[in-house]
Amino acid sequence: MIVTDELEAIESLWEAGLAETFTAYQPAAASLGEADASRVALAAALVETALGLQQLGRPAPPAPDLLRGDLCLARASRLLADTRDRRLQVSFARAIEEQAAAAAAERELEPTRLRLLRAIQEAR
Amino acid sequence: MTATDRIMLRSSRPTEFVDLTARLQAAVEKAGLLNGRIHLQSLHTTLGLAVNENEPLLLADLEALLKRLVPLEATYLHDDFSLRTAVPSDEPANGHAHARNLLLQPSLTILVEEGELLIGRWQAVFAVELDGPRAREVAIQLDGDFARAGADGVKRLIELELERQLHADPAPVGDPMRRLVEAGGKRFRPFLVLLTSRLGPGHDPLRAATLAAAVELIHAATLVHDDYVDESPKRRGRPTVAAAEGPARAVAVGDYYFAKATRLIAELGNPDVTSTIAGAMEAICRSQIDDLEFRGRYPGDEAAYLQVVRGKTAALIAASCVAGAQLAGAPVEVIERVRRYGEAVGVAFQMTDDVVDFSEHSGKPLGQDIRERVLSLPLIYASEDASRGQEIQGLLAGPLPDEHLRRVVALVAESGALERVNRQAHGLVRLAVGELEGVELNGVKSTLVEIAESVVDRSA
Repeated sequence: MIVTDELEAIESLWEAGLAETFTAYQPAAASLGEADASRVALAAALVETALGLQQLGRPAPPAPDLLRGDLCLARASRLLADTRDRRLQVSFARAIEEQAAAAAAERELEPTRLRLLRAIQEAR
Repeated sequence: MTATDRIMLRSSRPTEFVDLTARLQAAVEKAGLLNGRIHLQSLHTTLGLAVNENEPLLLADLEALLKRLVPLEATYLHDDFSLRTAVPSDEPANGHAHARNLLLQPSLTILVEEGELLIGRWQAVFAVELDGPRAREVAIQLDGDFARAGADGVKRLIELELERQLHADPAPVGDPMRRLVEAGGKRFRPFLVLLTSRLGPGHDPLRAATLAAAVELIHAATLVHDDYVDESPKRRGRPTVAAAEGPARAVAVGDYYFAKATRLIAELGNPDVTSTIAGAMEAICRSQIDDLEFRGRYPGDEAAYLQVVRGKTAALIAASCVAGAQLAGAPVEVIERVRRYGEAVGVAFQMTDDVVDFSEHSGKPLGQDIRERVLSLPLIYASEDASRGQEIQGLLAGPLPDEHLRRVVALVAESGALERVNRQAHGLVRLAVGELEGVELNGVKSTLVEIAESVVDRSA
């Protein structure tokens, strides 16, 4: 099962909301085909969790949360690399760039879930 | 040889002449094209190309001419969405723009002589926006005789590409990153990318430069986050992003450049390269978490040290070697050799960094890593020393005022740990150089050997 294989070092996040977030992305990711659907839903859930942990757009988090967020982002990036789908990789990266740029400019961030659902849709 | 690239632009008006000449000349210089051709091709049906004079009143005349010949007010069946089938919901009414594009060209070729665009005094090359404002893309290919870039040329290429990539970024993220990049850095990783990108038949200096810059941006992004985690006040002699801009901005800057680098690499369209770099990023982030955990058992042991260093330092160095070679389509055996070379050099690099931290000439305050509880192999060995280990562990357990820090530094030096680590680093470099034997390395072997040796022969 792809999900359980991908939680090394971030197991505690699963019960703390990552599982629920993963479920929320599954319908949108289902259209990408059986092989990639779980990967993409998990990648999206990891990005959303990462930006939440890192408190993007709010005061900086404690160091361990920043690093766990970095690991979530990196793992999401590797999951997307595993799909070998360039459009998905570019679309997700652009979504994170936009969120980070808005946070740095102290502008209001679009809800991350909406932005990532759009990224999935753009890549179809 | 052929090199490829893209010019990205954003028009600001419905009709606009965007002068590409300087960017084309930069592309020629970046690729090292001496004599040949640069081909441009618009990737849009409402963006044309033209060569003409860049004089504002003339450009206004040309814009007026386009409007006279193909008026906006005329009837275009293309704009009648009741007649067309399968019209996307965001389709604009732009029949006039398509028609005007017939008067321009979709592609152009400009000759290059002695590294310069061969254009007349008054000639400029334009992308002509006909349906703006929009984000646009012009593909370019260069072919002909390329200069073989020496070390200086390669370094200049890296700087040019970094400058190009940072130029377009929003100021709140771009400015702090530009300051960090401009403050220096060895550019070790991008240099390796460019060297190993010569190891296959698909060598393309422009694509390799993009990969090299992306790798350096990943490295820089990790530094931005690291400096916040370590509460470091300075990096490369300047305030860290967290110190200068605040921690929240530092988090955003790091995230932005992680993502941007990922995108640049994905856009290269080589899935093996994407996977290699993604794997390295994951290894880096995993080891940073380990690093933080091990600091609770400071100074730790050799096994913990190697676990962290293989991820935190060696992973991206090895990935730089591998990804460059993969991008060029190098043989599998060559890719494996440069991977092992990079792993060994990466660990040697970190070991030497640790030794340098005990030197007065390191450029950092003496013993800064100890104060920040960064894993250090000389300190680990010295703390295991039969006669000095106990005193070192006792000092490290306390608050470490300056005199205690100086005493720890002196005890490490007396223990012989610095020489021991230095010998190990040299041993790894011999291993790395050994990996380069018996394979065809297309003329870059001597430079790779020099790089490996320079890793352990430095004082800063």
